[in-house]
Amino acid sequence: MIFVTVGNHFQEFDRLLKKVDEIAPRIPHEIVIQKGYSKYIPRNTKHFDFVPMDEAMNYIQRSDLVISHAGIGTIILCKENGIPLIIFPRRKKYGEHGTDHQVEIAEALKERGDKNIYILYEENRLEEKIMEVVGKKEMVEAGNRGRENLIRTIKEFIEAFQE
Amino acid sequence: MKRNQKIGLICSHGGHFTELLQVLGAFEGYPTFLLTYKEVSTSNQKSAYYIANIGKNPVAFIFGLIKILFIFLKEKPTILFSTGSEIAVPPFYLGKFLFGAKLIYLECSAQVYHPSLTGRFVYPITDLFLVQWEPLLQQYGPKARYVGGLI
Repeated sequence: MIFVTVGNHFQEFDRLLKKVDEIAPRIPHEIVIQKGYSKYIPRNTKHFDFVPMDEAMNYIQRSDLVISHAGIGTIILCKENGIPLIIFPRRKKYGEHGTDHQVEIAEALKERGDKNIYILYEENRLEEKIMEVVGKKEMVEAGNRGRENLIRTIKEFIEAFQE
Repeated sequence: MKRNQKIGLICSHGGHFTELLQVLGAFEGYPTFLLTYKEVSTSNQKSAYYIANIGKNPVAFIFGLIKILFIFLKEKPTILFSTGSEIAVPPFYLGKFLFGAKLIYLECSAQVYHPSLTGRFVYPITDLFLVQWEPLLQQYGPKARYVGGLI
């Protein structure tokens, strides 16, 4: 299954949804779209506006590939579950977000060389990218050191305040 | 011994909510409550208070403020933790100045080089201020700390 999500930002992200819908008949995988506030109604895929967090997690865990804007929640869940992720940033110039900070996130991840994460800017290359990376799970080190450090730091702060 | 603490966990929906869920381990053993927006993605949470999006208009902001005040009068939080976004601002100021709560803020990992508006609002009064990208440290004052990121 391929899960596509565009987040809860109020601006539409029809550019991605239209392209996914267009190529869907040629993709040999089931495609499910969480379309959020986008106006475009996909004709060739299963879709819904939003689902509760545990259901969204469930979709991601069952996916062979996730395609999304540079949304932090999706990036975290894909990394945690080792799911390949195509990041297609929302752009200011197309009225998809107020700033181009999603490009900054995408570029920062690219520079760090994160495994299982693929950055894409041109929708015309989406189909070939999907076929290239769907189901391709690169081995990564288990655990999330950043998360462990954050939890420890917060815990220590609370404990110090307890004394 | 974990005594006399009540921790308020505050976040908007979407990635901010996912980030909060990621660090829940920090609050194990303490009584907590959640304050978030009423959205499909945040539904069915335990010990949760829901408010309408305060960023939408001034009326929603005022209603949200009143509701937060009543929630705090009932819960009497001693520590507030937030992963943003703007939903953090009123409870942080109310919590700090009316309830003497200690404040912990985790800047969203979407902020790589530029501070968020919420971050700038709460930085001056926050006791533990964490950013998730090292370059962002230069944008805040000496109080900001980087120990790692979630993504």
